[in-house]
Amino acid sequence: MTDTGSWLRGRAAFVGFGHTRYGKRGELGAAGPVPLVVEAVAKAAADAGISPADIDGWCSYSGDSVEPAILASTFGAKHLRFTGMGWGGGGGSMGGAFLYAAMAVATGQANYVAVTRGVVQGGQFGNRFGGMGRTAAPRFPGLQTPGQSFALAARRHMHVYGTTIDHFGEIAINARRNAKNNPDARFREEITMEDHHESRMICDPLRLLDFCMESDSGNCVILASAERAKDAPQPPVVLAGGAMGAPYRWGQGMFGGNNMAAEDFASAGQRTVADDLYRNAGIGPGDVDLANIYDHFTPMVLMGLEDFRFCAKGESGPFVADGNIRLGGTIPVNPHGGNLAEVYNHGMSHVYEAMRQLRGTSSNQIDGAEVALVVAGSSPTPTSALLLRKG
Amino acid sequence: MAEADRAELPMPGWSPLTEGYWQAAHDGRLVVQRCTDCGAHRWPPAWACYRCQSPGWEWSEVPGTGTVFTYTWADARPVPDSPLYNIAVVELDGTEGEPVRLMSQVVDAAKDHLRCDLPVEVVFEPFDDDVAVPLFRLRA
Repeated sequence: MTDTGSWLRGRAAFVGFGHTRYGKRGELGAAGPVPLVVEAVAKAAADAGISPADIDGWCSYSGDSVEPAILASTFGAKHLRFTGMGWGGGGGSMGGAFLYAAMAVATGQANYVAVTRGVVQGGQFGNRFGGMGRTAAPRFPGLQTPGQSFALAARRHMHVYGTTIDHFGEIAINARRNAKNNPDARFREEITMEDHHESRMICDPLRLLDFCMESDSGNCVILASAERAKDAPQPPVVLAGGAMGAPYRWGQGMFGGNNMAAEDFASAGQRTVADDLYRNAGIGPGDVDLANIYDHFTPMVLMGLEDFRFCAKGESGPFVADGNIRLGGTIPVNPHGGNLAEVYNHGMSHVYEAMRQLRGTSSNQIDGAEVALVVAGSSPTPTSALLLRKG
Repeated sequence: MAEADRAELPMPGWSPLTEGYWQAAHDGRLVVQRCTDCGAHRWPPAWACYRCQSPGWEWSEVPGTGTVFTYTWADARPVPDSPLYNIAVVELDGTEGEPVRLMSQVVDAAKDHLRCDLPVEVVFEPFDDDVAVPLFRLRA
């Protein structure tokens, strides 16, 4: 049986979220990530109408160093019942961490499970990004930065499908335009296509404005069973479905594997995750009201739109050029400004924005939003995605 | 390779799964891991065959020709005044099973000339006394 992922539909709820101010790289990191996560947890608990001491389960991803050993003790939790850590790098398994949390609350392993992520960035050229998995492959002269890794996929997409830098530019322009109304966003000034093209080349074909900016933040979302969430103070938001995984031989993806199937090379590596997600949730791309797609690099939004079947493979460039991802378009993407303009916090803000939209409190509220897609980072194995809907 | 160029690049990884690759390159041969049961080449190196799941393997010499699958340029790099270089994924000719793609560099390609699908062939660049690095150059 492979169709039993549907059992989880509607059984877990997103009851609270909280985050610190969003700082630039290294700005908030003087005392490390722990105080940032502690602040975020306290805010999320307040949003959920509970005490942080009520949290009896913790999940995170990408080897986050702020462990339950610290958090459960810090908040004086009487009884720790569940923990879960997702493999992979950056924000790839973010959705997986939420899937663990949802399964835990839905099956009674814990009452309130917090998904946390502390991000303090710094260090040398290209050595952050959440501690990427490494391959044993000899790869001299080798990739030195995440940007170079994704540039390989971007170049291949341009070569095979005729995608252009104007298409990358549209992703960047959309992010900045959406961030304009978002008081939390780090980059609220609009940009033009000319600004994009004239920004400094970092790793051809990617320019400065194709990159998100590394940021510091503490982050937390709290899940409870849908039954328990009936008492929560905020409008109910439930998990319609989640999925994690990777296609055949995806391996470390763009980070040194490069031997996935040719059809998946110029992709976000999420084709199979999308299939599993839609099946688990009983929802198709046509039912989705907004898509929060992890936008560490502009081309990965294009490839995400294809993997999640908002357009045919190879057609994402013309699709975004036609205005489909803008507010008011057929599938608005990242109404909060995303990684590119709001904050790079390994995907957590994509979940916050889904919750805001489904609660009806976004700074760019989409009328009648019922279903929100959250796509975690294109990354080494595994990557992941979630579908949230109004409870 | 000049010292100044080398300084900014990582040392080749050296492990039980990769040392034969570097040693062969030092001897002027390009080798790829190959299953001794079903004959499939595989990359990156692994402890079992993706096709038949056998643990048996050997290093197998390949012709050293291939095509540029994709590439990028290190326009921004830790030492800004150092020479511009590319990072290229090369799909090799003459392998069995799923295509084998190596991450390497096309050494003689100008920035406005490098393209996907260009034919290339291996060259071996000494790194130090014990290690050479398989790089590629454009093939006529």
